[in-house]
Parts: sequence; C-alpha cells; structure tokens
Amino acid sequence: MSEQQEKQNAFRPGGINTIHIDAARKMHASTVRARVPTRAAPSASATAAGAASTARFMMPSPRTASTSSPGKAGHPRHKCNNPNNPACAGCGGVIIPSPQAFMPLEDKPSMTLGSWTVSSQKRPILNAGELETWEKEHLGGLGALPEMIFGNNYVQILDEERGWGLEFNALDALKLVKLEDSGIRVAHSQDWMASKLKAQQEQHGSAADGDVDMSAALEIVKNYDWTYTTNYEGTAIGPRAGEYEWRVDNSVKLPVGLLSRPDPILYFDDMILFEDELADCGISMLNVKIRVMEERLLLLSRFFLRVDNVLIRVQDTRVYVEFADNRVVREVKRYEGAYDAVIAQHRMSHSHDPKAALRDSNWVAEHTPVIERRCEVLTKCEGNK
Amino acid sequence: MDVDMDVPMHDAVSEQLTPTITEDVDASGDDYQDIDFKPGSSGIADHKASKPLELTGENINQLDKWIEKLGKCEILSEDDVARLCKMAIDVVQFEENVKPISVPVTICGDVHGQYHDLMELFKIGGPCPDTNYLFMGDYVDRGYYSVETVSYLVAMKIRYPRRITILRGNHESRQITQVYGFYDECLRKYGSANVWKMFTDLFDYFPITALVENKIFCLHGGLSPMIETIDQVRELNRVQEVPHEGPMCDLLWSDPDDRGGWGISPRGAGFTFGQDISEQFNHTNNLTFVARAHQLVMEGYAWSHQQNVVTIFSAPNYCYRCGNQAAIMEVDENNNRQFLQYDPSVRPGEPTVTRKTPDYFL
Repeated sequence: MSEQQEKQNAFRPGGINTIHIDAARKMHASTVRARVPTRAAPSASATAAGAASTARFMMPSPRTASTSSPGKAGHPRHKCNNPNNPACAGCGGVIIPSPQAFMPLEDKPSMTLGSWTVSSQKRPILNAGELETWEKEHLGGLGALPEMIFGNNYVQILDEERGWGLEFNALDALKLVKLEDSGIRVAHSQDWMASKLKAQQEQHGSAADGDVDMSAALEIVKNYDWTYTTNYEGTAIGPRAGEYEWRVDNSVKLPVGLLSRPDPILYFDDMILFEDELADCGISMLNVKIRVMEERLLLLSRFFLRVDNVLIRVQDTRVYVEFADNRVVREVKRYEGAYDAVIAQHRMSHSHDPKAALRDSNWVAEHTPVIERRCEVLTKCEGNK
Repeated sequence: MDVDMDVPMHDAVSEQLTPTITEDVDASGDDYQDIDFKPGSSGIADHKASKPLELTGENINQLDKWIEKLGKCEILSEDDVARLCKMAIDVVQFEENVKPISVPVTICGDVHGQYHDLMELFKIGGPCPDTNYLFMGDYVDRGYYSVETVSYLVAMKIRYPRRITILRGNHESRQITQVYGFYDECLRKYGSANVWKMFTDLFDYFPITALVENKIFCLHGGLSPMIETIDQVRELNRVQEVPHEGPMCDLLWSDPDDRGGWGISPRGAGFTFGQDISEQFNHTNNLTFVARAHQLVMEGYAWSHQQNVVTIFSAPNYCYRCGNQAAIMEVDENNNRQFLQYDPSVRPGEPTVTRKTPDYFL
C-alpha cells in the first residue's frame, strides 16, 4: 500500500488510524519536550541566547538577573511528583514550565515543597458525554453552559501538615453562577427587541395568517446569568478542611515587594477553567495562574468579563502562602466599570488598535475602578470542632 | 494576563517581529473611530462586471501563482489582494442566495484563521479541485492566519468556481472582525487597514446559504422565525454588512436549543430554535436535515433535534487551546454521508505546543 493510500485509509472508519497514532505520539513527545527548560542555563549568568526570554521573565522587577542568586542550592527542599516532569537541574531551574492545554493528552504536573504539595492538571474541553452529565446532574439551572469548559482542569495547593488545601476548578465556579436574570443586555439588544416588537405588532394588525407566531418569541425564557459571573474564591479541600476558616482582616496587604523579587520560579502553571465568547458580544473567562518560589507561592484566579460596548468586570482572587511561617492570605478584589469609560482611557495612549487593550485583562484591571476589596487570613476554627 | 486569542503563541510571536505603527489609523490621534468603515470604501466593488468572470489563460496563470504562494502560507501583496478581491466579486456576486450544490461534496464548518489546520483538512478530505467543497463561513478571526486562510479560499473559489463554495459566516463582517482579530492581523501584516477593507467589502457578496441536492440546507447559523420556506431566502437582499436583526442576521447567528419553539437568548438578542421548528422547516421544504456551523463541538460534529440539525466545526484545537477535534462531512454520489474527524496538524520541526514562559504575575 502506498503512503498516499495509507493516508487516505487511515481516516476511514474500520481501518487502523496510523496517522492518528503517529500524531498523538508526536504531540506527546513535543509536549513533554516543551517542559524541559531551555538550555540557556537558568542560573545567574543569563546567556545572550536566553536574554530575550529572560528580559520578559523578569519584567515586573527592576532588578537584574545577576542579583538573584538561586545558588543556595545544596539541598533543594522541593521534589517533583510526576515522572514526566523534567529533572530539576539543581535548585533554581524552572522545573515545570507549562505547555498549553492540548489534545486528549493529560498534563498533570505536581511538586512538593516542605509540607505543601502543588498540583495542576490540563485537559481538553468537556466532550459531549461529560457535558450531558454536567447539564443533568450539576448545573441544570444554567440555560446554556459556557461553550468552552475545561472541566478536568484544576490547580490545587495542599498543606499536608494542616490537612487543609484549596482547589480551583470549573464546576465549583459555575455552581456559583446566579440563576436569575443578570439584567445585562448586549449592546444591540434594544434595537433587536424593538424590531421584533414591531414585527409582532404588524402581524397582529394584519390578522396574521398564523404562519409565524412571534408572540411567544418575545419572552426571554431562560433566566440565568448569561455572563457567567462567578464569585468563586476556591474550594477548600483536605481531610481537615472543616477545621479552618478565613478571618477577614482588610488591613492585611499582599507583600508586593517580596512577590516582585525575581526569585526563581520552581513551578508555574496558567490555565483556563471556562470561557465563553458570549455569541461574539465579548468574553467571559475564568483563568487560574500559580507560581511557586522557594519561599512563597502566589495563586491568582481571575474572572474576566467584557460585554462589548456595555461593561467590564474583573474579579481577582489571590492566594498567597509564605512557607516560613505557613501563613495563608486570600485577597479578593472586584472591579467594574462602563465599557466606554474604560476604553476612553486607552484613547490617550495612541495605539493602532485600541480594542487590543481590552483583550489584556491586566490593562483592563488597572483601568477599571475597584468596587470591593477583602482580605482574609486562614485561621484554625476555635472551639466548636 | 492575556485573555482572548492574544496568548502569545510561538508561531504568532514570530509574526510580530516588526510592530507596525500605522499612520493610516493613528495619524489623527484619538479619533480612531473615524476610519472609513463604510461598505464599499475600498473601491473593489466600484466596477463590477455584468457577467461572471471568465477564466482566461492569463487569469489562470496568475491565480495558480497566487495559490502556490498562499499554499506556502505566504501573504499576497496589497495590490494582488485588490486584484484578487475584484475578481472574486465578479464570481460570487452572480451566485444565488441559496446556492444549489450537487453531490459528491464535502461540507465544512468554521476554520477561523487556522491555516495549517485548513491544509490538514484538504489532506483528509482530499485535495481541491478533485474533491468538491462547501464551507459554511467563519474563515477569519481567532486564529493567527486569517489573512492567509481567507486569501487561499478566495483564490481557490475564483480558480475553481464550480468546485468550491464559500458561504458567509457571522465573522465575515466589519464589526465582528474589528473585535476578534482579523482587523488587527491585517494591520500587523500590511501596515494599514486597506486589505481588511477590501476583504470585508468582498464578504458582502458571499452567498449566505446552499442547498445540496434539494435535501440538505446549509448555512452558518440557523433558522429564522421570518423564514419559513427556502424561497423566502432567495428573496433577501444579501449584499450588505451583516445586519443586527432580521432574517439575514438570524441565518448567520441563531442556534438550535433543547427548548421547543423560538427562544430569545438571555443576552437580549438572537434567536434559538427548538426541535419542533427544525422538524417543521425540514418538512415544509422537503429536506433531510439542516447542516450548520457556528458553534464549537468537542467531537467536531454533533447531531441535534433528533437528526434534524447537524453542527459541523472544522477548527481543531480551537483558539489553540480547546483540544477539540474537528470534522467535515462527506456526502457521496448516493447521498450517503460520512463524518471525518481530525486533530490539529503536526508540523515537522515546529513545536505543536507552546510553552508559556513563567511570568512574575502579581
């Protein structure tokens, strides 16, 4: 059989999908390869080749790479829990770079640092069967689920010592979407509804021949928040999760200075939990990022909503753990503003494509008013348990 | 944190080596909204022919050169895009609102600028023109190669007008492409919005539906409460920007739903239609089923309304992150149909996954 025929046949049902297998194999190889740190040594001496990426890497901090000394090596306190992770080339290397979510290939890195274990998983969006289960068993009230649900993705941090941890996943986030009318309408809604109303009236006026019954069509039947706004702040996990609670203390601030230090990142992941394009009227997305350094970790879960020409909403949940004193802090910040007011700020800054800024949630968060901030510290429950 | 499709992909980053500062748009400071976004502003539709384009030896030669270039994922020059779009108008303007199609034909859904996956599609479905193709819209936006993708499909359309049909999707519009990437990509690749204007002017002429052997009604979105018979589609004036409401809008935007009857999306605009509606429509028009695209499905295709409607989606690993399969539907000489599913193309020597550089997010 010629190669051409083989290719043709490979995709017909009944044959052996050699190409599929080969593609999957290559895909797997490249995913695994993508985890291996670049050869440009991750040590203090940034080589010319690595300079470009390093520059970007270090961006938030004015310090140069040479001042950070990951060289305390000697006894790395951390270990990789997944054999697919590349070996840590001495403390200070980026041991778990994150490949993009990809294919029906599981990507499930994990590491342990002191008493803390950090794990994450990336899988493709839910398939038809999984979606049906979610619709029937978990989220029946939602008229329509977001079109991209990375329902098997999660980020998890677990403190073995306390028996307490926190997980971020799509299902728990979507369970918090309100089952009521959000009151928000897309920009052209009024025109659209008005034209429908007119059509309806005309029809009634002309003693409709009954072919198209518009009267039933003018009610919005499904009342759920189609923007998928969620106040999700993580799900408590672990055998003794119930023994801990969050004590609000708004005077607590995240140590921006410490977190801006270019300490080597030992573990990094960045994933989407769900996303919907709102029928091309904007975007609704929940994203989680985590980075673990030798002395602390930071997790950011960001809900981002943009209804084009209508409104902008961001909700950030940051979880910060300082390993030395095992302190866990959670900060929740909500931003909301009118679309026009936010984009107006960008008109000052002479860009060729102003809307591009509205795709950058960092820019948006910076330019949208904060409407709520709450900070809380993880505390052991008193008495009752 | 990046959202939307601006996640810096390996292959996209290399595109951005020279950030184009575009005088065209920005010269006047903050009044970017004054760009001429009116239909016809590119002038490509100014001198339309009165009869369909005839393929001369010279034309064919030119087209084959363009196709060869585009086949290597290289963009055409701005002047060539102007010529391409003018020729294309003289092909598609003569097509009917409901383009009749005979079997065999392979029906495809959204492509969204995923050029390499489109090439994969042709490998799996068979090369054009040996295989007849019907594309149901959404060639641009989201992916990083909208320009190459739409140029290639349009060039193929002119070269093999009876072998390939390209319908209009809701993304083939001025308004949507400004938000979802095509406009931005044109600015980056050409340094001005001219190419974007030409293509969006051309999109106004794309046919909006097709009818395969009088049995399969194909369109991008779905049904409209104002359209009961296929003849009513024939009466529409389609040459315009996709309107915000009305039958043409519905055909490009609506979605099937589990709930019966007509529904209005909680977003406050846009219809959903139930199984009773699809059944009635298929019965009235003596159809087997409706084939549409417009919605992402993990398996690449999905039947709904008890096989009255099928959704086909042909962009694998949509937005380079969904991990979904893509599919196309072959309908053979005997009207038998078969779905071919496929994964993203694997490009030798190029990483299929991009490592996200760890960043010091705060």
